[in-house]
Amino acid sequence: MLSIKNLHADIEGKPILKGVNLEIRTGEVHAIMGPNGSGKSTLANVLAGRDDYEVTSGSVEYRGMDLLDMEPEIRAREGVFLAFQYPVEIPGVTNMYLLKAAINSVRKHRGVEELDAREFLKLIKEKAAMVEMKQEFLYRSVNQGFSGGEKKRNEILQMALLEPHLSVLDETDSGLDIDALKIVAQGVNLLRSEQRSMVLVTHYQRLLDYIVPDYVHVLAGGRIIRSGGKELALELEQKGYGWVEDQAAA
Amino acid sequence: MTEITQHYLDQFNAASAGLAGRGLPWLDDQRQAAIELFARSGFPGQYEEDWRYTPLKPVIGKLLHIKVDNDIADTDISDYLVAGLDAYRLVFVDGRFSPQYSDTSGLQDCIVMNSFEQSVARNPELFTETMRSEVPLSNGFAALNVAFSTDGYVIEVAENVKLDKPVEIIFIAVNSDLATQPRNIVHMGKFSQAVIIERYVSSKQTGAVVNSTSRISLDEGARLGYYLVQTQANDASQISSVDVNQGKSSWFGCYTLTLGGQLVRNNLRVSLQAEGAHCDMLGLYNTGGKQHVDNHTTVVHAAPHCTSRELYKGVLDQRSRGVFHGRIKVEQGAQKTDASQSNNNLLLSPNAEVDTKPQLEIYADDVKCAHGATIGQIDQNSLFYLRSRGIDEKDARALLTFAFLNEVLDEIELEPLKQSMESILAERLIADE
Repeated sequence: MLSIKNLHADIEGKPILKGVNLEIRTGEVHAIMGPNGSGKSTLANVLAGRDDYEVTSGSVEYRGMDLLDMEPEIRAREGVFLAFQYPVEIPGVTNMYLLKAAINSVRKHRGVEELDAREFLKLIKEKAAMVEMKQEFLYRSVNQGFSGGEKKRNEILQMALLEPHLSVLDETDSGLDIDALKIVAQGVNLLRSEQRSMVLVTHYQRLLDYIVPDYVHVLAGGRIIRSGGKELALELEQKGYGWVEDQAAA
Repeated sequence: MTEITQHYLDQFNAASAGLAGRGLPWLDDQRQAAIELFARSGFPGQYEEDWRYTPLKPVIGKLLHIKVDNDIADTDISDYLVAGLDAYRLVFVDGRFSPQYSDTSGLQDCIVMNSFEQSVARNPELFTETMRSEVPLSNGFAALNVAFSTDGYVIEVAENVKLDKPVEIIFIAVNSDLATQPRNIVHMGKFSQAVIIERYVSSKQTGAVVNSTSRISLDEGARLGYYLVQTQANDASQISSVDVNQGKSSWFGCYTLTLGGQLVRNNLRVSLQAEGAHCDMLGLYNTGGKQHVDNHTTVVHAAPHCTSRELYKGVLDQRSRGVFHGRIKVEQGAQKTDASQSNNNLLLSPNAEVDTKPQLEIYADDVKCAHGATIGQIDQNSLFYLRSRGIDEKDARALLTFAFLNEVLDEIELEPLKQSMESILAERLIADE
């Protein structure tokens, strides 16, 4: 699904990623953990194609394609989805409009017929129910005046609608109370399948109580310094990031 | 005296004997006062504060002919209609009333809707004192307009009458290098209601200049929705002066929608003269190329308990330029005034420019006034967010631009007009560079 090799990336000339290697196979869920400033969000954003980051070397192969060579919208249409850490508020654009434009651009790209208004409405109602989102939120401006939890739910709704092959969830748990976290996690778990891969970027182990990963990686100083199974997250929770950083330095 | 001033004075002297309504004392007097003022002041220049940012070259940089004859050029009016708009219609081609393109069938008797020229020639008693009251000759353009007073529209809605359909007036510029001088007069009787759409269009490559004045008065309780829609080609220019007097508890909703023109300068002045009057002033401008759009607005709160709300939004691309100069004046004694004004701009290109200057002048002590202005660019985070959902960059930019303008577009209550504005905008915003 995804093969990251020796990835280096800068922001404003400052190196953030310093040689990331990661292999994700179809159907796997990987958690990327690490202390603040380790490059977790950078990695997520580089995968989605944000141009504030400059990739200086390395490669990312996604389903046999050179991901780094693709515009953000092409990545999305090819099935890469980034759930934002800070979903953007867009006054004047209704959520419905965005969702419809998004799904139809993806369908068009895949050579599937675009949805008409009725088909779309039916689909969106079903997906909104899945993330327990009230319908009124569909008719409001994108994320405007949404609480932190509502914004994150909206991200999961978009993900559910676009049915990506690869989802990257950037600190989806941040700013959520436990109830919101459960709803978001439930949405993610419903989307989990043999055909889909996911990358969970998180600072805390808490999210992993609800979405159990197949692999856990620790990113620190722009590199993955340790990889393991789900038990690694628990160990981190107990011993802190200093423990693996010390080990890596030794 | 400059060559250009002399050029127009010569035209006036040659034409004056044959101008519409010759012999009506009030009109003769107005013309005389106006031409004398024009002879003295000429056109304004960039050394004047109010005209500092307005490059008048497209308007006064060439010697234009003021059309006073009655020949009407053939034109295909269907090119200029708004789809789905059901309205009474007056059409002016190169500034002259064109009955063959107009349609006022079914108009109620209590409404006068005619051309200025026909009205002064056949029905001068129509002009009540209110309607005769002069456009303030605040500058050389208004003076030149009143001096020629060639044609224009006259609408009077009698007391308590509600118009069943909007009134649309289309000014079409067809022939090259003409300067037309439409003089428009609207009088709304007590508790009357109407919607007027004043549209300016042109065929391509006319270089035409329209110098228009519209004098609007509303008696007690009258309600008027007034749309000034400027979609002429990018080589045509317009100087427009709209002057409004509002009576007690009247409502004036003004929508200035400017998408066309090389140089467009709009002077809008609304005077709230009796208690309880309210005006909404909305503006939308979208420019590209080397267009220049300039909105100068003044709201005068001359009586207590009046409210005014003003919102102008502009989107400027390429090397185009916008100016907003908004003034709220609260006169002594106009207590309990509630006035707000805001101007927001979106620049789509590093070469586009906007100069905005909100201004308050308050001589009363118990008032609420707010104003503000912003200039910004497309938000990069929003752009990336939309693209990351599969929407391509061009569409995402257009969507964000629409979202920015929505606040004004949403207030256009005439659905066909709103749709026509949206489709012009969409065509521009999504068009290939």
